Amino acid sequence: MDEERRGTWFGFGFCGFGQALGSGLGRQVHSPEPLRTPGGSLDVCRVSASWSYTAFVTRGGRVQLSGAAGGTADGCTDAWASEELLVLLRAGPGAGAELQAWAPGSAMRGDPLWSQAVQEAEHGPSRDETQAGLLPLLPCARAYVSPRPPFYRPLAPTLRARRLELGAEHALLLDAAGQVFSWGAGRHGQLGHGTLEAEPEPRLLEALQGLRMAEVAAGGWHSVCLSETGDIYIWGWNESGQLALPTKSLAEDGKTTAEASGLEEDGSEVKRGSAGEDGAPAPFIAVQPFPALLDLSPGSEAVKVSCGSRHTAVLTSEWGKYGQLGHKDTTTLDRPCRVEYFVDKQLQVRTVSCGPWNTYVYAVEKEKS
Amino acid sequence: MAGPSTLWETLQALLPHTKEELKLELGEKVEGSVLMLLQEAADLFLGGQRRECLQTCEVLLDYSWEKLNTGPWQDVDKDWRRVYAFGCLLKAVCLCEPPGDATSVAAALKACDMGLLMGAAILGDILLKVAAVLQKHLLSGKRPAPGPSQEPPGTKKARNDHVPIPDVTTERTVPRLHCPSLQYFKKHFLVPGRPVILEGVANHWPCMKKWSLEYIQEVAGCRTVPVEVGSRYTDEEWSQTLMTVNEFISKYIREEPKDIGYLAQHQLFDQIPELKQDISIPDYCCLGDGEEEEITINAWFGPQGTVSPLHQDPQQNFLAQVMGRKYIRLYSPQESEALYPHDTHLLHNTSQVDVENPDLEKFPRFAEAPFLSCVLSPGEVLFIPVKHWHYVRALDLSFSVSFWWS
Repeated sequence: MDEERRGTWFGFGFCGFGQALGSGLGRQVHSPEPLRTPGGSLDVCRVSASWSYTAFVTRGGRVQLSGAAGGTADGCTDAWASEELLVLLRAGPGAGAELQAWAPGSAMRGDPLWSQAVQEAEHGPSRDETQAGLLPLLPCARAYVSPRPPFYRPLAPTLRARRLELGAEHALLLDAAGQVFSWGAGRHGQLGHGTLEAEPEPRLLEALQGLRMAEVAAGGWHSVCLSETGDIYIWGWNESGQLALPTKSLAEDGKTTAEASGLEEDGSEVKRGSAGEDGAPAPFIAVQPFPALLDLSPGSEAVKVSCGSRHTAVLTSEWGKYGQLGHKDTTTLDRPCRVEYFVDKQLQVRTVSCGPWNTYVYAVEKEKS
Repeated sequence: MAGPSTLWETLQALLPHTKEELKLELGEKVEGSVLMLLQEAADLFLGGQRRECLQTCEVLLDYSWEKLNTGPWQDVDKDWRRVYAFGCLLKAVCLCEPPGDATSVAAALKACDMGLLMGAAILGDILLKVAAVLQKHLLSGKRPAPGPSQEPPGTKKARNDHVPIPDVTTERTVPRLHCPSLQYFKKHFLVPGRPVILEGVANHWPCMKKWSLEYIQEVAGCRTVPVEVGSRYTDEEWSQTLMTVNEFISKYIREEPKDIGYLAQHQLFDQIPELKQDISIPDYCCLGDGEEEEITINAWFGPQGTVSPLHQDPQQNFLAQVMGRKYIRLYSPQESEALYPHDTHLLHNTSQVDVENPDLEKFPRFAEAPFLSCVLSPGEVLFIPVKHWHYVRALDLSFSVSFWWS
């Protein structure tokens, strides 16, 4: 295994509460900036961003908050930030662990809102320094945490959950066999079962059967998953182009260049989606209730995916490509656009983690070959 | 008439001048981080920092918009709608900072309308007052009655319509009564749930004489309203969008429309109280259990050809026809099985059958289901009993007003 190169975290997007995003000047950062976390340079291994604050977890087990909520706590193995709750996983006495839910404004002082002893995972995960934590899924994978009551939600043991993500009104689960389940409200197509109906219990995504998924990510009202072979499937609400499909608001302004099929301008099979001959707005997709395969440039494979409220970020293996934010402006885009910053600086991105309105990226310098 | 500085002064006079007054009483659902932003927006506004205030308003609007789109609309906490309205209010006033050109004022009015459509009442219905001021200002700069023709609605020259006007003489028609007494109506129609057309009840409402395309454009032209686009709401290509009444009329009524646009099921009279003066609440509504304030009044305004697929509603309905005629078919709730309602939760109150072009192979029982029909004309009021299935097609440019009561 090659020697670990220490990398740097970058952030871009909304920082209206002064959460550590680069310089933190003003309310938005349009181009990636290196993170300056409060308290000096920390060995951050995980970032969990809520809307008004961000939680940083270091390799040393410290959790540091930045933004509308502040404070630090030690002895933590994982943290999950939401507006209603800050959830911490702390190493407990002996082999156990403790799940704690704190009011974000408490600065983690005093008593948590509630706490519960939880089982550790059956086998400790071999932790890559930038491995995403499991929260809101609990280490035992038998339950997850919700920001709204009931806070502790059991999962059927048959599900063998590996990862779980929560959207504004739905949930996605990835199991040990690479299958994806979804449940919750479905009115924006975010469940992926082809209807707008709600599902009270986890339901298997039949459209993806036979494909082994490696990751899932949930945005506010959209869902993304990444297959073991590097393909991205995406579904749900496309009101801001978060599905990389032509969106109405851009179609009407004649600004969309995506078409419902074939997104790349590589010369093959591109249909111009901008204003048609008769001046009618381009066709657009508002809601995608079935998983759709996302076309990145030919030959590239996706390795990581993360969602904000209304944006999507995808990391590919070659050059570190992303969607939407980080392009030095605030234009909404409905096709994948590479974040050139990382290419220009010769940085290789290792992981991406989205908050609702911003994006955090961990990158190392490319090896000079 | 009024210059931009007078507009600004008028608006300032409407708004509170102190931090204590420019404040919302909010419950626990609204997080501390949002309360901070509300405070910041108010401080910036009162401090005259309009550009920064606008930025903070955008954040408030985007965040509360997400809350408004989470979960079913009925379950959205009213406080989030108040936050949204507050953002719209400050945004609207900031946009009118002198020199307030017509584009900025129109944008400000749009912000007010968004607050009225999606927000909840704040600060003594201040959005209505601000909207009225802005509308007046916009109109004072314009020539009266825009629009190419003054012809009364309904006499539009023939477009290529093959509008089939159903021959209702071959169908069983809805009975008609002239001003029945409250007791008679209750005994013979309300209690047994039977449809009836009431004549002589609404024909003297001011709207019957006053309303025309020109009048509507005058009173509501620059206001933003929701419009349904597509032949019917059960279609895949159906969508909802927002536009001003002027845009709606020019795009979907006057010019050769490519699509059907329908200003449907919109509480226009809450948004534009001036229009409420032209209508009345039918006396028969007092036979219900609810309060008068709880009666939902909707406007239905659209070109010839709009269709509402066969569906049922959970309340009693008086449908008053003001402009143009509508063909309406009614099926009793007892026939529900023969009407093949969708089995999804979203559409369980809507029939799968296209009433005037039914697929009888797929829906065989539909052919035998008995129904009543009518052509509803201006001045007439149709009583649609609760849960009674109804199908509506506009035979002309049409404006109807519905009253949902219990």
